[in-house]
Amino acid sequence: MSDHQDPFRESRTHSGLQLVHCDGEAIPLVLRLQDVRKAANDWKTFSSDHPFKVILHSEENVRSVRQLPIEIDPPEHTEYRKLVEPLFRKPNEVAYQAKIASLVNQMVADAIKSDTVEAVNEFALPLQSRALTHLLGMPESEADIWIGWGLHVFHHSDNSEAKGAALDRYVELQFSRAEKEPGDDFFSILNNADFRGRKLSFEEKAGFASVTFAGGRDTIISTVSSIIVYLGKHPEALEFLRADETRFSTATEEFVRYVSPLTAISRTCPVATTVADSPIEAGTRVALCWPSANRDERAFRDPDEVVLDRKPNPHVGFGFGPHNCLGAPHARLIIRSLLKSLCDQVQCIKLLAAKPLMETESSYTRQVGYESVQVRFIGK
Amino acid sequence: MPKVTYILPDGQSVVIERAEGSLMSAAVDNHLTGIDGDCGGVGSCGTCHVSINPAWADRVGPATDVEKDMLECDAAATTTSRLGCQVEITPELDGLVVRVVGR
Repeated sequence: MSDHQDPFRESRTHSGLQLVHCDGEAIPLVLRLQDVRKAANDWKTFSSDHPFKVILHSEENVRSVRQLPIEIDPPEHTEYRKLVEPLFRKPNEVAYQAKIASLVNQMVADAIKSDTVEAVNEFALPLQSRALTHLLGMPESEADIWIGWGLHVFHHSDNSEAKGAALDRYVELQFSRAEKEPGDDFFSILNNADFRGRKLSFEEKAGFASVTFAGGRDTIISTVSSIIVYLGKHPEALEFLRADETRFSTATEEFVRYVSPLTAISRTCPVATTVADSPIEAGTRVALCWPSANRDERAFRDPDEVVLDRKPNPHVGFGFGPHNCLGAPHARLIIRSLLKSLCDQVQCIKLLAAKPLMETESSYTRQVGYESVQVRFIGK
Repeated sequence: MPKVTYILPDGQSVVIERAEGSLMSAAVDNHLTGIDGDCGGVGSCGTCHVSINPAWADRVGPATDVEKDMLECDAAATTTSRLGCQVEITPELDGLVVRVVGR
């Protein structure tokens, strides 16, 4: 899997920071694992209270709401997160796991029957969307709408504003539908939630919906696509995984570490501070660079190698601290289920073509996933 | 198999008579509150933080460098804190008492 190269090694070794220029702002990327962890944990010094600025580039042109709970600090963050945490932890339930296993098994079986599959748009994207219907308590048919939005609900498009507006309309319709026909789905849960003795405002509910649909989309698609490419390039990996079922879990963590599809999440420093012995002025934004932390040679032996049974594996692919990824149980379940299903049903994956998806900023270019992957799944 | 006593965050003591695997997996298998084991035991998620009863600290051993880095970020860490997933339950630990620190 030599595609996923690490563009941050030199800066990580030399200074622990790398400047990236975004929209007129100079943002230091925090590169070392322990610095990233400390910053992620210290919400007072590294605040998330900056609407539209969760990633490097401001998203104020594609959405009109503060994403929740990701773009706010404790104590509000803690209380907002509690409202949805039970739903996002459903993937830890045995009955739920069986439903996702069934979904994944069917999708793999269908892929085997096809001559060739474009694994990004014809497998990873439908898998991500159909699995999300289960998480949100929606009919699986709803995934057909979500699949139509493409790889990202805002970005990777010539018209991000139109895409953002389409999501806004969908979200508004769903909250309205849930008012008329309340159930136990994501939208109904938010309609009924009690926050400090009151119902949530529409903006707050839309804030939850915004990150729910934007957050676990291209990340899961990229990781699933990258796994398929890896298994295509390393046919011995399937045998390795089959030999010990505990490896489904360790391999899941390793793929998340290695692919790290989300490059950076930003923080604003309300007061002057220091990171990696460098002064950070008050009011400056910094960005926590998960993929760099995940290749930190001080923490990971052979960090640029995929080691499917890597233990320990103290990666931060799902973030760290109070804002760690709510969708992590969901993503882990999808990947573990996929690995098991491929081991059960697939003899090997023939990789026919793969076009990497590259992310370019002022000071780096890195692969975050794939634009397209042509494969043939050979069944057992 | 060894007996391990977990003191849960609410103060309740739960005794696992035949504990297997790691301090994390034994807790998860027995549905104990305060230990999640989200990452499957590779030391990534920090949801298996336990404090070893001082009388057992030498036999369990100190936290590894990987654990120390994680625990450094937890204000509730004690001098005998460990990540439960990194502590294998061996016959020598029969009778072990740990406190679940939780998140």
